[in-house]
Amino acid sequence: MIRDITIGQYFPGKSPIHNLDARLKLVLTFVYIVSIFFCKNFVSLGVSLVYLVIAVLLSRISLKLIAKSLKPIVIIVLLTSVLQIFYNDDGTVLFRRGWFEITTGGLIMAVFTSVRIVALVLASSLLTYTTSPTLLTDAIERLFSPLKKIKINVHTIAMMMTIALRFIPLLIDEVDKIMSAQKARGAQLDSGGVLKRGQALVPVFIPLFVNAFTRAYDLAFAMECRCYRGGEGRTRLRVMKFCKRDYAAIAITVVCLAGIGVSNAFLTALI
Amino acid sequence: MPILETQNLSYVYGENTPFRVQALENVNLSIEKGELVGIIGHTGSGKSTLMQHLNGLVKPSSGKVLLDGADIHASKAATYAARFRVGLCFQYPEYQLFESTVYRDIAFGPRNMGLSKAQVDERVRRAASYLEIRDTWLDKSPFDLSGGEKRRVAIAGVLAMEPEILILDEPTAGLDPRGRAQIAALIENYRVSTGSTILIVSHSMDDIAETATRVLVMDNGTVALSGTVDEVFRDAAALERHGLDVPQITRVFLGLRAHGIEVRTDIYTEKQARRELIGLFKKRGVLQ
Repeated sequence: MIRDITIGQYFPGKSPIHNLDARLKLVLTFVYIVSIFFCKNFVSLGVSLVYLVIAVLLSRISLKLIAKSLKPIVIIVLLTSVLQIFYNDDGTVLFRRGWFEITTGGLIMAVFTSVRIVALVLASSLLTYTTSPTLLTDAIERLFSPLKKIKINVHTIAMMMTIALRFIPLLIDEVDKIMSAQKARGAQLDSGGVLKRGQALVPVFIPLFVNAFTRAYDLAFAMECRCYRGGEGRTRLRVMKFCKRDYAAIAITVVCLAGIGVSNAFLTALI
Repeated sequence: MPILETQNLSYVYGENTPFRVQALENVNLSIEKGELVGIIGHTGSGKSTLMQHLNGLVKPSSGKVLLDGADIHASKAATYAARFRVGLCFQYPEYQLFESTVYRDIAFGPRNMGLSKAQVDERVRRAASYLEIRDTWLDKSPFDLSGGEKRRVAIAGVLAMEPEILILDEPTAGLDPRGRAQIAALIENYRVSTGSTILIVSHSMDDIAETATRVLVMDNGTVALSGTVDEVFRDAAALERHGLDVPQITRVFLGLRAHGIEVRTDIYTEKQARRELIGLFKKRGVLQ
């Protein structure tokens, strides 16, 4: 069902990863994803994987959930590795039949790309699993606040993102409810051809849009009633402040980056 | 034989996630034809989940739902047929209106049943008359009606399928007292004239005290109490233990008793209250 989607979902908890400063988490995730693409041999790849595994274990998110976040990319990973094996003919030939050959270069490329994709998805799902959407948009607003200098209204954009994120679960719930209600009146939403299915969605989408607009108006009224006038001069309920654990996280990340750098410098590059 | 029955019905939400909730646990009910059963429970007690099992919208994690003794999940066709035999009207049903006219919206259910145009028309008009929907409304857009009117149209949309069992989730929620009384009266009128079985799900005792022949109290995914209105409402302490209140009017009489005034405390409806108070006034010489 729709409820089973876990990407972008937040799982509340009290682990060290949950408690990290959201701005830091966002930056570290970004730095980490970039760093995976700088790994040039198995040692540096290993270092960055160890870093990720430690982060996953520290977050105390169940491994089943982690596996679930990887499910949608299985096909992409398989497809890219097969393509790499087919099209790359560097290195020594391991196996040949007619025009088809497997080379060490192809295998290495396949391993590297699959590990990179998996690490990328894992790192970004870890970010959303352990950071509430409000904190995340808050962090984005602060990180991008220098853009105010060039007249970009960062606060409004962040507020729209917060509201949009807040409304996703509400709308999912609503779709669920409306679908149940129309099914209770005999609507067949999961059978028939493309045209029939498209038509079957009309009874779901019309009430959904009508309700979404009503909600949007209500929310706008409620915000105005509480004198919301945009970001100018607003103070915050939660002030983000770096503490020891954040500095520790920075230190560990620097060590990991150094490890990648050193092994890249001293060992031969495979790709 | 009961018309609707559940056997060891259990349902779990979000299995294998931190949000796992056992919404229903070993629920066994049997509903006889023609009954009006009130299902009450506080928010999250599992009453809405239970309701969605009864017409096959949700498949139980374990256990069975039997309609006339036959499992509604025996085949896809059986499940689909159950949708029309057990009419389900959700909370705030007016949010599900979608058609361009009231007529077409009420006709949505009967049309899905594959009935002929004449039969659909007959059913729409009959459902509209049960809910006192005027002919002039039928050509209007449902979005132009008032809240209470929309509610009646939405309920008519379920009634038009002429289900043998009608389940209503909080049919009077969010209406003013007059709207509540009107909906309650229309439902009761429908039951008396068609002899259909009705289940009303609610968190408010007041809705149910008036008309229900039997009351089930749900708590924590199980049926905690069950019996006639008298049996269930007599034990105010047990109700409170399950997160529920006795009806407001009963509380008045419990208060009077606490102040040392000799009144009965098994009063659940306005009619009973009026009789009791008039009796009391006569006894004290306030009235002749």
